[in-house]
Amino acid sequence: MSRIPARAWVGLLLLGGLGALSLLMGRLFPEVLASSCPLGSDLTRPDRTVCELAFGGLWISLAIGLAAGGLSTGLGLGVAAVARLAGGALERWVMRLADSFFALPDVLVVMVLQLAGQSLVDAGGGAGLGPFGLMVVSLALVGWAGPARMFRNRLSTLEGQEFVAASRALGGSRFHVLRVHLWPALLPFVLAVFLSRLPAAILAESTVSFFGIARMEPMSLGRYLGTSYAALIYEGGPRIVIPAWTLLVLLVLGASLSSQALGTGVRKG
Amino acid sequence: MQQLLVRVGRQLVLVPIVALASYFLMASLPLTTEDDSKRQVSPELAASYRRDLGIGEPLGFLRPWQKLFRGERLGTSAQGVTGDELLLKLSGSVGVGMVALGLALVWALSFALFRSRWRRGRLAVLGDALPAVAFGTPVFIPALLLAPTVVERGYLLPELTSALVTSVWPGIFLGTLLADALETELARDYVRTAASKGLAPGVVLRRHVLPNVLPALLDAIGPMATSLLAGSFAAERVLGLPYFGQLYVLAVLQKQVAVVVVATTVFASVLVFVGLVVEAVRLLVDPRAREARA
Repeated sequence: MSRIPARAWVGLLLLGGLGALSLLMGRLFPEVLASSCPLGSDLTRPDRTVCELAFGGLWISLAIGLAAGGLSTGLGLGVAAVARLAGGALERWVMRLADSFFALPDVLVVMVLQLAGQSLVDAGGGAGLGPFGLMVVSLALVGWAGPARMFRNRLSTLEGQEFVAASRALGGSRFHVLRVHLWPALLPFVLAVFLSRLPAAILAESTVSFFGIARMEPMSLGRYLGTSYAALIYEGGPRIVIPAWTLLVLLVLGASLSSQALGTGVRKG
Repeated sequence: MQQLLVRVGRQLVLVPIVALASYFLMASLPLTTEDDSKRQVSPELAASYRRDLGIGEPLGFLRPWQKLFRGERLGTSAQGVTGDELLLKLSGSVGVGMVALGLALVWALSFALFRSRWRRGRLAVLGDALPAVAFGTPVFIPALLLAPTVVERGYLLPELTSALVTSVWPGIFLGTLLADALETELARDYVRTAASKGLAPGVVLRRHVLPNVLPALLDAIGPMATSLLAGSFAAERVLGLPYFGQLYVLAVLQKQVAVVVVATTVFASVLVFVGLVVEAVRLLVDPRAREARA
């Protein structure tokens, strides 16, 4: 594995720092923020300060991003591996299906899936999924196609390498080649793709929650901003918007930096 | 020619697939009318959903479209929409999207020039930070910050603001692609050859470099159109614009299932149309695409 670039470390440290901060401030010691927040309390939730809501929301948004990013990356990887193992017409059709999914706008489809999922949950179905699980599944169902396409192309490139041809010539089965030779070479790329899914999932969740379609409780950053919407309009709201905005930007900056640096590093390596 | 028709067919087939998928997803929604459910719908409303979607009727999946083409109202009478209203709302959103596209191109050119000029200076870090800030900012945040100032003034100001906030991320995304493509092309041998033969830098750029950069930009138009239209949903909601995005969000919130089916299909059709236009433009401007077809 090639050396991890410095930019990737910066991004990973930023992500880790934000995660630790949200855990400490939003979950473990919220009373510190309650007593010392310079931005005052939220108009729609006077019992909570803006800082408590922003850091609490960051924790939920990060958890959704990690879970949905991980699930969609895993789904994409599984689809790509099955397609490559099967080859031929099945591979072509699976990739065409991925392309048509890829062409659909995330936010729109997540809204429809939320509507369907909530009806299912209300009717007593939904396999015990709460709003959090429903959002993660919706985002993963929408987000698998991009990773599947990228992994399939990457696997195809790796399979053209000499060490893979040598392994096949020595009698290695397709599964053996995939497990022993391709998977270790693919791993850094998997991490890069996972990190690139993270901001996409967080932003899609924020937008859908902002519309009031997801019933996330405790609130994510998007839902927090969505519930404060009327107050923001009347009060002129930078005080309420800016902390959540800054946290979202830092989150996306961390994920983008590490994803781009890992992706470039891997291509060079 | 045959290959071209296959590609067009592949794009067009997406529309009925989206129509059927969204119909059957909506038709399979379990509508709870039992007392023990926390969030039940009234039996009248459940019957209205079934009527709207033609559930249980032969060729019921055509029911929303029949109603639309007959000029009847889709959805429950108070919150439904007719075909004419749908088109009017769509034209509003597309209009905002077109203005946003123009603005996005301005952003893209400005960002590409900025990045190439400051590449090795102290401001180079901005070339990386700006896309992250733009990408990390959902459309609704700048819309929220600007809303108190523009909402009550009217006179197309909310529309222009919606186009402005929607255009930022696609513009920076396109600018990043443009800057990368320009950098790659400017480093190629043919540029040095053209310059060494005495052509002015502007002429080299216009006559030799830009035709090679255009295909990369065309590849980005599809995702950009998606993000422009999806971004306008959030801006329309915050700025109170009564267009397609607002209609869609309200249809989902109010479970107007027939409206959701039709609106989702219309949205997919717009994207397919954009894809076909991009293909046509690519054939016109990129000789390599014509050769590939041949």
